[in-house]
This record gives sequence, structure tokens and C-alpha cells, in this order.
Amino acid sequence: MSRRDEVLSRLRDVPAMPAAAMEAIRVLQDPRADAQAIMKALEHDPGLTANVLRLANSAYFGTPRKVSTVREAAVRLGTKRILRVVVACAAAPVVRRGIKGYDLPPGELWQHSASVAVGTDALAEVLKAALPASAFTAGLLHDVGKILLGTYLEVDAAAIIQLAVSEKIGFDEAERRVLGIDHAEAGAALLESWDLPEDVVQAARWHHRPDDAPGRLITLDLVHAADALSMAEGLGIGRDGLQYRPSKAVVLRLGLTTRVEELTLCRVLVALKELKDMYAAPGGR
Amino acid sequence: MSGLVGAPPAQQTVGISEMLVRSGGEDVLVTYSLGSCVGVAAYDPVARAGGLIHCMLPLSKIDAAKAAAAPAMFVDTGVPALLNALFEYGAERKRLVVKVAGASSLLDEKGLFKIGERNYTVLRKLLWKNNILIAAEDVGGQVARTMYLHMATGRTVIRSQGQERDL
Repeated sequence: MSRRDEVLSRLRDVPAMPAAAMEAIRVLQDPRADAQAIMKALEHDPGLTANVLRLANSAYFGTPRKVSTVREAAVRLGTKRILRVVVACAAAPVVRRGIKGYDLPPGELWQHSASVAVGTDALAEVLKAALPASAFTAGLLHDVGKILLGTYLEVDAAAIIQLAVSEKIGFDEAERRVLGIDHAEAGAALLESWDLPEDVVQAARWHHRPDDAPGRLITLDLVHAADALSMAEGLGIGRDGLQYRPSKAVVLRLGLTTRVEELTLCRVLVALKELKDMYAAPGGR
Repeated sequence: MSGLVGAPPAQQTVGISEMLVRSGGEDVLVTYSLGSCVGVAAYDPVARAGGLIHCMLPLSKIDAAKAAAAPAMFVDTGVPALLNALFEYGAERKRLVVKVAGASSLLDEKGLFKIGERNYTVLRKLLWKNNILIAAEDVGGQVARTMYLHMATGRTVIRSQGQERDL
């Protein structure tokens, strides 16, 4: 069995996200879907409910009257924001663990994933562009392939980074040379096996080489750019460091300038703090 | 004086866009995840005053409100704030030992994301205008770094890619 086949045969070893979260992701993806259904599901999940209420009552929204039900919280925050909390909470156990092979202590992949998720939002805001529904989820889950490779297959990133540095190639390309597969493709396979929306799968699949993607996808462009900014900020960086090549085509398509990049980073830092405050509580890190 | 002989010094974390300044003591100031950001450690061995800052972006004009709320976010507002705080603790410009780390970049030959380079350029200019030399630095490349400043001695340590070295 090739190393690549070995990777792809181990997809089932990684625990999937809870069903309520998958449902939230599908609702988040489809604006016509019935948000009432997800609210109902939420009310039966005490952990998620607690997180939603904590956010609604956080200083960030600074209103004196406390809300005590998910429905009230939905009014205050908007359904979309609530669904994001649900997705973020649901993804946390998956991406919060440490990944030994990639030298990521517990919490670091979560930090990086969350910053890319809020980064897609911040970028769209600064660019005054419409944010595709899949971008937040795609940002949160774009690197799950590292879990499969680094934890379940105990891939040692040290050897891969050595090759990448000496050849001046991206870490993902070095992964492909050593393993026959990179963490982007492994992650996409994992997300596909969890039956997540196609845009989320495609964004994970091509996030390090958007120029090679079979079609244009704004979610992919946003994840690629937010990933570059998050790496620049040093958030949740493992042994692979910043050893990745950004795409000029994406920078041109999105219209990124130094000003846009810096304004986005300011916003990411604030939004990340909001998410973190929410987690600085039971179940948080 | 710390009470327990041999007790490990307390570690104080400096977050992104934050700074800490101390006078004396045995604390170790540390800042994690320096990518394109720049970390500056400054220490006066005579006054035993020292500080560490983690600046994310070069110039505060991008967001004046944020700069007012969190001056350490930007090199041009944060580093002067660091220096002034040190002077208040009795540090003197000519004795300050200043060390710099960070300013990494992606594999970005086309210069698409220049934050690290801009941070470093603005920092150098600012220190030069203030007549302060950089005593040592570990900057650039494609790695993230952690920077430590030992208040007892001024020792500055960089941790990167699983290895530690004195700066």
C-alpha cells in the first residue's frame, strides 16, 4: 500500500463532528433553510446553548438586559451569527487537540482555524464584497488534514520541512513529494467523508494552490488570502511555519493591497478575541 | 527578593499588540507566535528595567482609533511607548540593549504580503531616529518565533522550530 493509500484508508479514524453541528453547517450554507429547526435542535443541546447565551450576553454586545433563551439570543445576534457560534463550537473539539507530528500544541490549530474563519469575514467586509455562506465553515475546517496526517498517521513534519527549505518549495509540495498527498487533499477527503458542502471541501482541497483548482470559487480565494494573513500574524503556526507560496492571481482577483491586508488583520485580532472570550469558560481551552 | 531559593521565575505573557515593562525582579517576559509581527526586547542592565513588545503592524495611520486604544499594535506608536515607559523606570537611552525578532514572510518572491518587511523597515527607521542601535536580531525567513526576556539578567532567548538560542 502506498503512503497515499494508507492516508486515505484512515479517514474513518478521525471522529466526525456532532450531528447538530453538521446540521448547522447545512443551514448556514443554505439561506432558504428553516432556521427555526436549528434553534430547536440547539435548545436540546445544553453545551451549545450555553455558548450562544454567553456570546449574546458578552460585553461585546454590551446591552444591560441579559438574555436567557436561544430565541432571545437569536433576536439580539441574528440567526447567522448564532449558527456561526454553533459551527465554531462544534469544530472546536475536532481542531483543538494538539498535533504532535506538526509540532502544534493543543489549541494552536484551533487558533489558526478560527483566525482564518473570521479572516474570511473581515476580508469581505474590508473589500465590501459579499461573503459566501460557506466561507466561515471552510475557514474553520481548511486544515483538518493536518489532524489526519499528524495525529493518526504520525507523519513527522520535521523531515518534510527540511526538504521544503532546501528545495525552496512550499510545505504542501514537500508533503506531496514525501507522502504522495498533502494535508489539503487529505483534509478535503475527510470533509467529503463527513458529507460537508462541496464548496467547503473544494476550499480545503485547493487552499494552498488555488491556481490549480478546476474552477473559480470565491470561498477558496477568501480562505487562501485569510490563511496567508493568519500565517503572517503567526497564529497557530507549527513546524511548517510560513513555508507556503501565496497566489498572485488570488491577490489580483480579490484586489488585495497592503492597506486591505493591514485593515483586515486589525479586524481579525478583535474578532478572534470575541471568539476566545466565549471559550474562556467550561469546555474552552 | 523572591522568597523561595531555586523557585522558577514567573513567566509573564505578552500577547499580540501588547507590551509589558518591568523594573527589577526575576520574571521572564515571553511573547509567542511572532510571524510577520516584530518583537522588541529592551533592557537597561544598570537600572534593571526591561520591556517586551509584540507589534502586529507598522503604521498606526491605518486605524487611529485602534492605535489610541492599543498603541502596542503598531510599531510607530508601540515602540515609543515602550521606550518612554522604560525611561520612567530610570532606564537611559545609551545603556539600552535592544534586540529584535520576527518579521517573517511567506515564500513570497512577488512581494504580495509585505507586512513583515514593512514592520522591520519602520522599526529600524524609528530606532535609528532615536539613536538606538539594534544589539542583536533574529528576523526574516519562513518561521514563527517565541521571544523571552529574563528580567534578572537581560538575557534574551529565541525559540523557533523546536530549538532555543540566546540572542
